[in-house]
Amino acid sequence: MMIEGLIYADTELIKAIEHDLTLTQVANVATLPGLVGRSLAMPDAHQGYGFAIGGVAASDMGKGIVSAGGVGFDINCGVRLLRTDLRLDEVKLKIDALLDQMFRDIPCGTGKKGVVGALSYDELDRVLEEGAHWAVEKGYGSSEDLLHIEETGRIPGADPAKVSRRAKERGKDQLGTLGSGNHFAEIQYVSEIFDLPAAQAFGLYTDQIVVLIHTGSRGLGHQVCTDYLETMQEAMRTYDIQIVDRQLACVPIRSPEGQSYLAAMAAAANFAFANRQMITHWMRGAFEHVLGNGNLSVVYDVCHNIAKEETHRVSGSSRRLLVHRKGATRAFPKHRSEIPADYMEVGQPVLIPGSMGTCSYVLVGTERAMEETFGSSCHGAGRAKSRHAAKKETSAEELLDDLKHKGIHVRGASRSGLTEEGPDAYKDVSLVVEVVHNAGIAKKVAKLIPIGVIKG
Amino acid sequence: MEQGYRILEHPSDVGVEAFGLSLGEAFEYAALGLTSIIVEPASVHPTEQRFVSIKGTDPENLLVRWLSEILYLYDGEDFLLSDVNISRLSDGELDATLAGEQLTEGKHKLKMDVKAITYHELKVDETPEGVLLRVFLDI
Repeated sequence: MMIEGLIYADTELIKAIEHDLTLTQVANVATLPGLVGRSLAMPDAHQGYGFAIGGVAASDMGKGIVSAGGVGFDINCGVRLLRTDLRLDEVKLKIDALLDQMFRDIPCGTGKKGVVGALSYDELDRVLEEGAHWAVEKGYGSSEDLLHIEETGRIPGADPAKVSRRAKERGKDQLGTLGSGNHFAEIQYVSEIFDLPAAQAFGLYTDQIVVLIHTGSRGLGHQVCTDYLETMQEAMRTYDIQIVDRQLACVPIRSPEGQSYLAAMAAAANFAFANRQMITHWMRGAFEHVLGNGNLSVVYDVCHNIAKEETHRVSGSSRRLLVHRKGATRAFPKHRSEIPADYMEVGQPVLIPGSMGTCSYVLVGTERAMEETFGSSCHGAGRAKSRHAAKKETSAEELLDDLKHKGIHVRGASRSGLTEEGPDAYKDVSLVVEVVHNAGIAKKVAKLIPIGVIKG
Repeated sequence: MEQGYRILEHPSDVGVEAFGLSLGEAFEYAALGLTSIIVEPASVHPTEQRFVSIKGTDPENLLVRWLSEILYLYDGEDFLLSDVNISRLSDGELDATLAGEQLTEGKHKLKMDVKAITYHELKVDETPEGVLLRVFLDI
């Protein structure tokens, strides 16, 4: 069976998309059994493993498949936006001290262990079941934070027993760490408001200082995906599923393997929610310590790599679907029951981080997204240059100098981490956001400009 | 290609290409190549040994499981690889002795976190001249 593919892009971005395997991967996904609607790619799409990153594919809950590759290795890699009641001029002069404090308090970088220390297996199981709720119970933030997280920071159906011992070994001393690669925490200010009612609902205003945190489920999530790719490859034979690419390994949602994967995926997602909740707590501590004001509120927290069971209207009837979003963000409109009560009249915040030194955006979900993309939007700028090429072209010193001239201070745990993740290595996020805005699948609310960043 | 490994460019991640006179030798170089992405090889010494046995459904699957094992030993058990000897590799089964040491902050120069081993453009090419492997890693 083959459904259609649909790519969101403009004439410039489509050239980059055509340059790698993205289109082939969108087409390959379109051959999977039980898919509904179209195999989608967002304007920041680039080639991934089996599924393109920036891809969305929805399966019928009764007859369709689930694929671990359709979620990705970093389960619930996602973004959280915090707002403060501080303005740019209050924070600018203390940015170095603030970054130093953050760098001390929030473990980041290769091999960095969590400050919590290695959790016991029992405690880790609780993290996997309860997610951000566990963190709040332990004193990291308050229950008010939970109201502004996708799924309140706890995806139902998580089963720690479906997470392997290996995954737990990898994860148990990584809780409360930022990680490395393209993960970061950024201090930004709101430079422009595009949609005043939505900005007001989200509590955003011009020159306000905000914080963006980008991280995922660390080694635990990576191992869950690795484990279930193997499980699915083996199990596929039982279900007589033919695939054109080994990395599209999938099983029926209703199969034991499918149910186990979803339970493990939810557990890993909860680990990531707990992670971002703990980092939020330390961020508040750093602000309190340096600026005497730790009032940081959660605007929203979204998943970028996940599969969600949702109800969507397809050809006039309501259907229960499993929506795979790999490098894509849910973008629900106003009046959807899944979004926070105080955003009900405007819609769900959609958080789009740019790469280091460029801008980020807050958008809002739309009805058009529900009609065309299963309520999905892009997730951030996709990579344009290989890491090796990016490193060759810029030295860490040049990059730091360049960013400093733009007023952006950086604390990086490694030099290669800086140059590999420099802005030139990524597609222009503003172009990506323009496409999404013009296509109507999410609408611009605010532009955020960084003044400081910590990364691994 | 000469025996050994090299690191490959990729749009968003990194790859390892390894060449050996036998499948086992190529697998050894692939493991060392993976390790060289994670840590500065010269900083790791062979102070302890581990024994591993892996099974795979085919050579590609065996390679992914083998490298996943190396990755797990680092990320889950803090074991860094210094040297490796595959004593048996046949019929989808592999036995190996790994030499290395426990990760020690300050002593070992860590370079990059690797999330997972992928099947992306995976190659196991057995020829009369030797065996060429190619594998990409999610970082």
